[in-house]
Amino acid sequence: MRKFGAIAVAIFCLSSFAARAVSGDQLFDLLRKKMLTVKDYTAEVKMKINVSYMRIPTLAGTLYFKSPDKMKLERHGGLSIMLKKNINLTVSNMIPTGSVTVLNMGNVTIDGQNLRVLKIIPEDDQGQIILAKIWVDENSMLVVRTETTTRNDGTIKMALRYGKYISYALPDKVTIDVDVKDFKLPKGVTMDYNEVRDETPKKETKNRKGTIQLNYISYQINTGIDDKVFSKK
Amino acid sequence: MIQLLRIELYKIFKRPRTYISFAIVTAISFIIQLAMISDGKSFIAFALQGVSEQFDIHGNVLNGYLIAYIILQSLLMQIPLLIALVAGDSLAGEAGMGTLRLLLSKPVSRMQLVLVKFMGSFIYTLLLIIWLAIIALFLSLLLFGQGDMINLKSDAFILLLKDDIMWRYAAAFAFAMLAMTTIASMSILLSAFADNSIGPIMTTMGIVVVLTILSNLELPLFSLVKPYLFTTHMIGWKGFFDDPVPYAAIGRSALVLVAYTLIFLTATILYFNRKDIKS
Repeated sequence: MRKFGAIAVAIFCLSSFAARAVSGDQLFDLLRKKMLTVKDYTAEVKMKINVSYMRIPTLAGTLYFKSPDKMKLERHGGLSIMLKKNINLTVSNMIPTGSVTVLNMGNVTIDGQNLRVLKIIPEDDQGQIILAKIWVDENSMLVVRTETTTRNDGTIKMALRYGKYISYALPDKVTIDVDVKDFKLPKGVTMDYNEVRDETPKKETKNRKGTIQLNYISYQINTGIDDKVFSKK
Repeated sequence: MIQLLRIELYKIFKRPRTYISFAIVTAISFIIQLAMISDGKSFIAFALQGVSEQFDIHGNVLNGYLIAYIILQSLLMQIPLLIALVAGDSLAGEAGMGTLRLLLSKPVSRMQLVLVKFMGSFIYTLLLIIWLAIIALFLSLLLFGQGDMINLKSDAFILLLKDDIMWRYAAAFAFAMLAMTTIASMSILLSAFADNSIGPIMTTMGIVVVLTILSNLELPLFSLVKPYLFTTHMIGWKGFFDDPVPYAAIGRSALVLVAYTLIFLTATILYFNRKDIKS
């Protein structure tokens, strides 16, 4: 009986060790290396902004990205609306660069998927990112969720879904949750047309949630993008 | 009736004062376009500061569609006054010049005369709105180019795609035409009461100014009467630049304006039929 108990404990210890074979730091380094394989991309995207005060149709355009932090949405003659520069829409920008402290927060199951949770604290305390939490699918080595606390722009949550470009760790669909401030202009200035629809009482909250959904239709990866593309207005 | 209308139109367009309205519309449009060419970017930055705290907006924001909208908004108060210049003069002007009695000595019924005056004012209004469309919209598009249009409401930021705007302007101008016809009919009614044109023109201006202020004041005291004021519904054209377009509300506004127009026109006919014309 004692023998059987010892074997059971040994099996449990071994399986635990196997599960934790890759430490948090190692996993983070592997992820970062995988992300760094994409130097730039040009993607055809469709963007839907769901913010309480914004009524914007789905915007189709071309999204340019160049590592580490250059990004631009071009709408072929139309207006492009993007979150402020310091909240870039790529995963690599949601994860701190430079020296970091990685804390292993264990595993969770979300939508039937077993995910490893890491907390990343940048050592540079002057950077835009204060803390990042990432959910990693270890089997495919992909970040499927991020929660980034920024210095000036609140907390940004990002959920990623992968498809055709999984080998580059580039998502097909990204949903970003952002905190948005209230929007008010004096009615005397805008001279609103007072239809019945707008007369319903609205919740008065200073901070509201919003989502931005990016659907990537196609990518052209590592083709080399000129810096001028990002400086053009 | 058609002959009578031809004479009426000849009278309207022979008077130099008729063209004052076209000159004023042109001048206001030019001033706004010039201001936007020289300082439009800072104006846009100020208007969008609430949004640009969180979002970067790139592209031709200051395009012809937006400029035309700003011009239309600025002319909201002025156009009714310009309509009154002609419509307020229609019956009172004849009385003032002593030609009304002479006119009615011809085989023309008083109702026919009122309808011809109304149609004359309608055609003048139509031409003024077409001129406004040319100057405000097409000239702005020529000067500032095309692009997606931003429409700011007191609690909403609306973006309209450039391919989805022209029909909205066509509908908005058609609605503006309806609103201005209401003003013209009210002005003709006031004109029927007077024997000189200054009175009806000034009274129309006064009514429009006071009721527009009432329509725009956000006080509970006025909220009961607001839905019944025609000035509340005159800005229904703005509904076409909303997303989704509030068709039901625009339809209600259009009905209110049609009702007012019919009431003013009927009242004019009823009063004018019984009026003791002394000059």
